Amino acid sequence: MGATPPRIPTGSWAGYQAAPEPLGTNPVERTPIQGVIGAVEAILRQPRRVMFQMKQPNAGGLIISLLAIAVVCSLVYGVVVGTFSGAQQYWAAPVKIACGMLISALICLPSLYIFACLSGSQARLAEMFGLVAGLMALLTVLLIGFAPVAWVFSESTHSVVVMGSLHLAFWFVAAIFGLRFLHAAFCHLNAKTSGGFQVWVAIFLLVALQMTTALRPLVGKSDRFLPAATEKKFFVQHWLDCVATDPTWNETPPKAPRQDAQN
Amino acid sequence: MSTHVIIQMSERASTMDVREVSVLLRGEPEPINRWIRTASAPRTALYVAVIVAGTGIYGAAMGCWRQPLQGLYTAIKFPLIVLLTTLGNGLLNAMLAPLLGLNIGFRQSLQAVLMSFTVAAAILGSFSPLLYFLVWNAPPLAAHVSGVYPIIRLTNVAVIAFAGTVGCARLGQLLGRLSDNPAVGRRVLFAWLTVNFLLGSQLSWILRPFFGSPDLPVEFLRANAFQGNFFENLLQALQQLF
Repeated sequence: MGATPPRIPTGSWAGYQAAPEPLGTNPVERTPIQGVIGAVEAILRQPRRVMFQMKQPNAGGLIISLLAIAVVCSLVYGVVVGTFSGAQQYWAAPVKIACGMLISALICLPSLYIFACLSGSQARLAEMFGLVAGLMALLTVLLIGFAPVAWVFSESTHSVVVMGSLHLAFWFVAAIFGLRFLHAAFCHLNAKTSGGFQVWVAIFLLVALQMTTALRPLVGKSDRFLPAATEKKFFVQHWLDCVATDPTWNETPPKAPRQDAQN
Repeated sequence: MSTHVIIQMSERASTMDVREVSVLLRGEPEPINRWIRTASAPRTALYVAVIVAGTGIYGAAMGCWRQPLQGLYTAIKFPLIVLLTTLGNGLLNAMLAPLLGLNIGFRQSLQAVLMSFTVAAAILGSFSPLLYFLVWNAPPLAAHVSGVYPIIRLTNVAVIAFAGTVGCARLGQLLGRLSDNPAVGRRVLFAWLTVNFLLGSQLSWILRPFFGSPDLPVEFLRANAFQGNFFENLLQALQQLF
């Protein structure tokens, strides 16, 4: 009792950030990634291998595999999203989610390349494209993991606001892991600062959130595939409007019968 | 093949290499110092092409909120402002530099300004998809929905300010290296920015509109384009404010 705890060795402070080990140091990282299944395994368990292979001249096959993973996984998750409303949403939601994800990435890619150059990175545009494909692949693979949970809730509630919020929450968690992969790759691109990357992350999140509003409805029903030009709005306004009109959030509880009326 | 090998090959060749733009963005001192010392028509043509493409695409995004035709007009006018400002102040910039302690000639001063505008134009071009997306999602300008116009205007101000700041930063770094004296570099930069702001703001006034107004027809130039000036208008706006 009263014993002095051992001294913490110097240089081992948990917050100390050692310089990242150069890519390709581990022989496993230098092994080419074959096929779509190999790409799924690598993006989940060996992200450094993906980053190293992206720097190689023949990275085209890997990039195509990652894009295919992203498209297929977003289509599958889109079907789950569509089960809430059924009917047209069984095909409309997957198409919109897959297209929206690809368009969001394409919109944000040029600015990511600019920020990378401004921070001193020597990365080529093709390499940045591949890393964004990796981000989307990881994000959508994680969404597949959330799909059973999302489906159970889809069958349990009639509230568009609740389901929309749940899907956004799952997407946000998946995006955190995807952006973490991209940030790790950014650190290996000889970038001197990460301030530009942080600004880009904010831009990417805003674009993705606005895309969900631009392509609405994803959850719920509508007579139109896309909103009319007169219905254009920013995503915050759309969320507020949804909360204001959702019956679950606005119905008044039935009044209990008065005791004296029965006497 | 590394970027440096590619740049060296392009210096020996007589063709433009778009990858040189990334070198400008990174601000790599050695190749940029080499380029500023050697005359190269293909390289100058590359800078002009990037300026026209980058500012043109961005200008189209700015103007298309009013109408596609306004987008076309702004796509023409935005590069014009940059190039006319560069050429209009070319002689003055070349005279100010040695007077303030930086001994460079007309070609080098023109090339330095073109380099900084190339950096800014590349940034604007890369942000143009984002601006298109914002404009596409916004209610039409004619709908007068409150809050939308300030968002779009502030977004444009932020993007143009960011692009301009980075361009100026790269120009300041280059001038500091050319003079071997950061203080001389800063003096020359300040002088060039002042004269460019003077001419550029008036050219912007003459070549208005860029966004367009829902209450006015879409025109390439206003009928009173050559009446008044930017600073008179600014003073009148301040007087109304107070």
